[in-house]
Amino acid sequence: MKIALFIGILFISLFAKEVDLPLELNAWKSLSYVNAAKNTNELPNAVLTLNKASFVGLHNTPKVVYVSRPIKEGGTVSYGGIFQIEITEKGIYRIALGNASWVDVIKDADFAKSIAHKGGPENTGIHKILDYSLEAGVYILQLSAGGDSTTGLLVSKIK
Amino acid sequence: MRVIVKTILFICVYIAQMNGQSTQQKDEVSKAKIELGHRLFYDADLSINGTMSCATCHEQKKAFTDGNTMHPGVLNDPAKRNVPGLANIGLFKNLTWANNHLSGLAEQSLTPIKGTNPVEMGMNGYENEIIKRLSQNECYQKLFLIAFNKGNDGINLDNVSLTLESFEKTLISKDSLYDQNLKSKQALLSKDAQDGKELFFGFAKCNSCHTAPLFSDDDFHKIELQNQVSNNNIKENGLADITKNEKDKNFFRTPSLRNAQLTSPYWHNGSVKTLLEAIQKHDLEINQTLSIENINKIIVFIEALTDYSFINNPQYARPDKECKY
Repeated sequence: MKIALFIGILFISLFAKEVDLPLELNAWKSLSYVNAAKNTNELPNAVLTLNKASFVGLHNTPKVVYVSRPIKEGGTVSYGGIFQIEITEKGIYRIALGNASWVDVIKDADFAKSIAHKGGPENTGIHKILDYSLEAGVYILQLSAGGDSTTGLLVSKIK
Repeated sequence: MRVIVKTILFICVYIAQMNGQSTQQKDEVSKAKIELGHRLFYDADLSINGTMSCATCHEQKKAFTDGNTMHPGVLNDPAKRNVPGLANIGLFKNLTWANNHLSGLAEQSLTPIKGTNPVEMGMNGYENEIIKRLSQNECYQKLFLIAFNKGNDGINLDNVSLTLESFEKTLISKDSLYDQNLKSKQALLSKDAQDGKELFFGFAKCNSCHTAPLFSDDDFHKIELQNQVSNNNIKENGLADITKNEKDKNFFRTPSLRNAQLTSPYWHNGSVKTLLEAIQKHDLEINQTLSIENINKIIVFIEALTDYSFINNPQYARPDKECKY
């Protein structure tokens, strides 16, 4: 398992270094491992740090008890997980993701609506990019309907 | 004599009861098939890695399209065509953009599930995996039993496709402002929409292909004279890809204009973003004589074909997690 994680991190890092990334995605070049929570009890151990990229471990979907039902649910063979992140000031935030998982950003049971989305730059390992306008506060970030047990994840402030 | 009358009466009552029961049973079977199809439509376990359901590309709020030019397959294979809407799809004889060989929605539903040109849900060769996944779900076990009365043997791909057809046939859109206006003059079309309607059915002749009430004649036409350029290096010959007949090259089925306001981008390859561009792209003589002002009026009329009750109908929305059966 550890070897697989190491290879995964190395793989993403190598890809990321092939191209120049925009400033807000620069942290993608260095990923540290965070295991997703399967339920709210595990959330204290699944904290993401703003502007720091994470190589995240996900769980088989039937094992995950989401905070709110994801807008797009994966099947029994897909992967997902829950994270927590603190946003300290109001602004536009960008989520970069290494695979096509569905992303829900939730605060006080309300789903934040993405204001923009696009694919990631080529040869970076970033599959998609989503922008959100967020107030300060603690947010739940849910990944669902993912095809892989691991992926890269970065939340950064862009405005 | 009395005995004979009593016997006849008994037989009549018995037959009536049996008919009642049989109708009730049929209703129950039919409801179970629709419920099953509804759940399966939203179930990503119909794709190889559990990440894509029918609803991934057919989103209710976009009249069962997805807003993308084309939607790549579950393993990122390039798509061939834009996602078509599903409003009133049970009333069409020809399904998808360019296929006149499909026997119905049941057969069509297997194309995304196990088709290879292009690969969409990626289950070709993994059909047993679908059965295995569905067989583990108690709700499906009960529903398949009611719908097909064959125990676990009822859980097979043919029956999956039949239930998807049952659900898709319920996707009826006939409550747009245009429809309301037809039923009651109290639902008024704006002046521009009224003008647009007259142009649509009159001078502009849109109705000759986008024929009411489906706003499609369910037939194939070639309205773009130049050869099609595929976006993804996938061969694109329209209907000729199916019929292998050169005469059918670049023929595509007329898309319905119901809810077209919600189904951008347009064209078989999603190459057009707005209704204005879509109308102008028709390589037809009539387009030379239509002013921008008139085209805009036609667009206002097309917008009156948007059926908000269709895109908000809870019977088509993602089903509750809880199984009522």
